[in-house]
Amino acid sequence: MMRLLPGERLPWVIKYRPKRISDVANQEQAKKLFIPWLQSWLRGRIPEKKAALFYGPPGCGKTSLVEAAAHEYKLELIEMNASDFRRKEDIERIAKTAATQLSLFGRRRIILLDEVDGISGTADRGGLEAILELIRVTRHPVVMTANDPWSQRLRSLREASLLVPFNRLSNRVVVEVLSRICEAEHVYCERAALMYIAKRAEGDLRSAINDLQAIAEGYGKVTLDIVEGIVASRDREYSPFEALRHLFMSKYAWQAKRAVTHSNVDYDTMMQWINENIPNQYTDPEDVWRAYEALSRASVYLGRIKRSMSWDLLSYVFDMMGPGVALARKKSKFKWVKYSFPQRIVMLARTKEVREVREALAAHLASRLHVSKAKVKLEVLPFLSIIFRERPDYAARIAIGYGLTERMVKYLAGPAANEVMEHVNMLLMRMEKPSKVTEHAPRTTTTAPATATTTAEEAHSHRRRRSTTRRTTRRRRRKTSSSRQTTLF
Amino acid sequence: MSSQLAELLWAEKYRPRSLKEMVNQEEIVKRLQKFVEEKNMPHLLFVGPPGTGKTTAAHCLAHDMFGENYMQYMLELNASDERGIDTIRTKVKEFARSKTPPNIPFKIVLLDEADNMTADAQQALRRLMEMYTVSTRFILIANYPSKIIEPIQSRCALFRFTPLKKEDVVARLKWICSQEGCEYDEEALEVIYEISEGDMRRAINILQAAAALGKITVDIVYKVVGLARPQEIRMMLKLALEGRFTEARNELRKLMVNYGLSGIDVIKQIHREVFGPEFKLPEDVKVMIADYAGEIQYRLVEGGDDEIQLNAFLAWLALLGRKLRAAGE
Repeated sequence: MMRLLPGERLPWVIKYRPKRISDVANQEQAKKLFIPWLQSWLRGRIPEKKAALFYGPPGCGKTSLVEAAAHEYKLELIEMNASDFRRKEDIERIAKTAATQLSLFGRRRIILLDEVDGISGTADRGGLEAILELIRVTRHPVVMTANDPWSQRLRSLREASLLVPFNRLSNRVVVEVLSRICEAEHVYCERAALMYIAKRAEGDLRSAINDLQAIAEGYGKVTLDIVEGIVASRDREYSPFEALRHLFMSKYAWQAKRAVTHSNVDYDTMMQWINENIPNQYTDPEDVWRAYEALSRASVYLGRIKRSMSWDLLSYVFDMMGPGVALARKKSKFKWVKYSFPQRIVMLARTKEVREVREALAAHLASRLHVSKAKVKLEVLPFLSIIFRERPDYAARIAIGYGLTERMVKYLAGPAANEVMEHVNMLLMRMEKPSKVTEHAPRTTTTAPATATTTAEEAHSHRRRRSTTRRTTRRRRRKTSSSRQTTLF
Repeated sequence: MSSQLAELLWAEKYRPRSLKEMVNQEEIVKRLQKFVEEKNMPHLLFVGPPGTGKTTAAHCLAHDMFGENYMQYMLELNASDERGIDTIRTKVKEFARSKTPPNIPFKIVLLDEADNMTADAQQALRRLMEMYTVSTRFILIANYPSKIIEPIQSRCALFRFTPLKKEDVVARLKWICSQEGCEYDEEALEVIYEISEGDMRRAINILQAAAALGKITVDIVYKVVGLARPQEIRMMLKLALEGRFTEARNELRKLMVNYGLSGIDVIKQIHREVFGPEFKLPEDVKVMIADYAGEIQYRLVEGGDDEIQLNAFLAWLALLGRKLRAAGE
């Protein structure tokens, strides 16, 4: 989902991803277990355990080792993330790929199931089964990663896998990597500053690199002065991801409140982040509901504030969206999950165009039918859509009657849009007969929205163009059209 | 067969243009025609269920009063579409300054769905009505008179539009069918009346969609109504009750994004669905759902975020579903 805007730089965690197994910092023990297992696969001897389970704290190189191995041995990496495990069918689809011998280009494959501890209990039982089935049928090595592999749920997975432990990286190792990156980027750095970053990251190399990049790109150099200042302020300003992590880990109300008040996005946006991630974090339906109930109250309080402009009520909003949500957890255990970006915001961005068309259509029809836009959307568009999908010929006449744009037609007719437009064009040709145009066109032209080319406008341009250049064809067509005229009912 | 190439929605095509053409609400029409004769009228408040001719009556009145080009002397506003009382005030102010009709000393401001305005906005509206009372008359339209504040009610002549009778709706539908030359089963038209609950506009919308599919039969009518109702509502409820919260939430997002429904639209549809014939749940559970739906709708009215409120509802349904399954086992 990573998209780079022009001028935006590649995140260093991706740019400096290890390309070779030897590049993966430390973790010799893990390599000793993993490499022979992998080579055995590659030599065509399928090991007893067909899957490997990498476990260890976040940011210690689990995923990196798989990626480096894939790169080094030229394997096609098939990757799947916790959020995709929710649907059994998706795993089954991967399983099909896993069961076939070679990829399209004859390359061998390695299958990575990232963060399998993100699978929740009962709801995803089908998911767990599907993974076990995948391991049974696979003809390619399967690697899974987890922060905490010891939960009861993952027992069957543990039994089916080679267990590969990863250690928390020492500060020394983290500093080593950071200083190599600084060298490659030609960034001046003080060792003490790198040490400071490393300490704060607590063995999480990924977050340490992110911190380093933020400072280096912001200040052009990495000195202890800057780092101390930044890191201190970053303690107060959490990214939404960090804020969520702090929020859901909170044991006390003050911690949870601090997490939401110190996020670097506004409370409306933070609410959307929480809204998105409650079901990722909580597995028990009762916890989920309690959390949503708290968030719902927070949102109502915010609504009241906006109406009455009583901003001193804001504290209660934070109480409900912070502690209210965090302390809703009574039955689910805390687990590491990957938080997702609020999909609603993504969806709204992606569907902007469609929504604009619908809005324009609603406004256009509302003025003709003398009802509100909301009523048009609720009571008129559904029926209109039926006509457009089921009766393209008739729909075309309505499209002309209201001077609908092609995009509006598309919105209403969906798959039948082309057919409707063909009919529209056919009808517009028939309308060339001047008397007919004047009979029916003015109505449409006066009310058609001025923003886009309307079919009604097209009618005029058609008429003009044709009347001057193609008299003979016109005459002929007029004849055929009159014989083709059909009544609708 | 002057083959009209351009076609309109029948709700517009067959809307009466003049009071003479109105077939229902005879008492009201008579009183309104008096105003036309006298070339004078007070502020009016039309109340009644949807699709009973309130907006049509207002347009017909203005038409008969000002003639064919009546729209230049009438400002039409819909309270649900206007962004607050300030834009309404600006528009009224501008309109009041525009030119007056030749023989009549006032113009008309038509404010539809006025009961969607808050009490505060209605107070401001009341002052507006007083300020321009010399040059303008207001026609306010609402579903429920109780949602219009007392001081406005007392300044208006109240007209209560009654629900349309079955014979009237069916007769109108028949007449439209004869104009359009479409075939129909008598029974199908009665079904349309039942479904639309006396709402003429809705009845005509259903009729037109049904006619587009072929001969208007009972089956076709049900098909059309089924197609028009977003399938996602039922899907969403089903998934939530099965405890598949995330998937239910996806359906909800589709409803809000793809259909452009507001949170209140969705919760109302849920309510309708729960008590509908296809939804199989114990009766007492339906009541529980309605209770919580009511709470959620209130929170939406109070300004809660649409999706968050409905997610709370879905999460609650998931919990309810689990309890029901546990009880069933």
